[in-house]
Amino acid sequence: MIQVENITKKFKIPHENRNTVFESLIKMFKPIRYEILNAVDNVSFRIRKGEFIGIIGKNGSGKSTLLKLLAGIIRPDSGKIKINGEIIPFLELGLGFNGELTGKENIYLNGMLLGLTKKEIDSRFLEIISFAELENFIDTKLKKFSTGMHLRLAFSIAIHAKGDIYLIDEAIAVGDEEFKKKCYHVFENFKKQGKTIIFVSHALESIESMCDRAILLENGKIKNFGNPEEIVFEYLNPEV
Amino acid sequence: MLTKKDINLIKKISFVDFKLRFNSSVLGFFWSLLNPLLMLTVLYVVFSLLMKSPIEHYQLILLLGIISWNFFSVCTMNGMTSILNKASLINKAYFKKEILVIASCLTSFYSFLLNLIIFVFIMLISGVNFHLTNLYFIIPLLLIFCLSLGISFGLSAFYVKFRDLNQIWTVLLQAGFFLAPIIYPISLIPEKYLKFYMLNPLSRIITESRDSLIFHSFPTFLIFLKTLIICISILLIGYILFKIREPYMAEEL
Repeated sequence: MIQVENITKKFKIPHENRNTVFESLIKMFKPIRYEILNAVDNVSFRIRKGEFIGIIGKNGSGKSTLLKLLAGIIRPDSGKIKINGEIIPFLELGLGFNGELTGKENIYLNGMLLGLTKKEIDSRFLEIISFAELENFIDTKLKKFSTGMHLRLAFSIAIHAKGDIYLIDEAIAVGDEEFKKKCYHVFENFKKQGKTIIFVSHALESIESMCDRAILLENGKIKNFGNPEEIVFEYLNPEV
Repeated sequence: MLTKKDINLIKKISFVDFKLRFNSSVLGFFWSLLNPLLMLTVLYVVFSLLMKSPIEHYQLILLLGIISWNFFSVCTMNGMTSILNKASLINKAYFKKEILVIASCLTSFYSFLLNLIIFVFIMLISGVNFHLTNLYFIIPLLLIFCLSLGISFGLSAFYVKFRDLNQIWTVLLQAGFFLAPIIYPISLIPEKYLKFYMLNPLSRIITESRDSLIFHSFPTFLIFLKTLIICISILLIGYILFKIREPYMAEEL
């Protein structure tokens, strides 16, 4: 279960960037002027175990900031986040992938970044490559992989990670139709196992078809939280 | 504190980076070994011409100085940029950020160990044999790692915010090259300056390494203790600075 109470995150956006010791010294007594952006503004919600939650909103509405706050990458200025269960703390598929490494090496590196131990990866290794349909390419360097192969491998490692709560900052069904079906099948299984998924996406169809509830963000505030079809409708027709 | 999982991640990242460093060229690995040898040749020729009376085992003194210094400068430069270089990881996943700094320092440390193997070969060729005092070398070896790690922590903590820190550090390193006993033995320093000179932990570490490997002698317990305290305090200060800055890093990248 995830419980978020009144979290606020402000970003200071300076009018000038002072990125060096040199600049800081010569402009020591000149105060920096900056704008304050309320990226996430007094947001509260609860998510039950096993729910699939979609987050939608315009660019700059605070979707990614909210996910980063949940993952612990950045800290809120105020408010509380309570999470029961083990969170899989990544927002991007294929984290740390390196083109110069082989598929196998990338599985180990990425898997360990997702919090798996070497033994756990050993035991899941065959599953990972057979799900990604990459049995013949596992010793090929990643830079020789096609985009589809790349995505399939990244996705396959991610679903074999250990934890109850996924936070994903992009489309989660990837590849051709057949692979997409396989992905949806995986998500149905996740639901049965009681795993929670929170994902940010502009793919409104997959939000409608997969999510139990959806959050509509606007200027860092929750505009609405509920039935995904209604939320998507409200997002598409803001005036109504 | 670091968990077992963190340590495994450190190992993995450092091994992968070590491998990648030499991946692009077949000769990459050999160059990393050849580099200190070429530098040794140049400096040896220049300084043995300049010096009036020859110093015993000057080539070994020089080589050990060069590879220790190389480790220190490469380790701190890479350690400083380690957080920024892996910005994509920090922005997209949650893990302890010190993992990246430690892994980067370890990567440099592996090269250092390989260079030391070369040193041992040349030492044996030069007619200096193994001796029981060689065992003491493990202490300066660990301390130079602690020292470099501590400085890397401190530098990386501020490099995220001050992007010209690498320019400043390059200049300081250049000065350090002549301020530490790299190209000369400590015996050349006049007695009255020695006290200040030995405030530099690198001077201590390099001297102790040379004593144990080349001249077969131990430092006194007091000297050992002083070196230990200096290095560990630098490590602690660096780590604390890093921890203070850590919460803001993801936003400043």
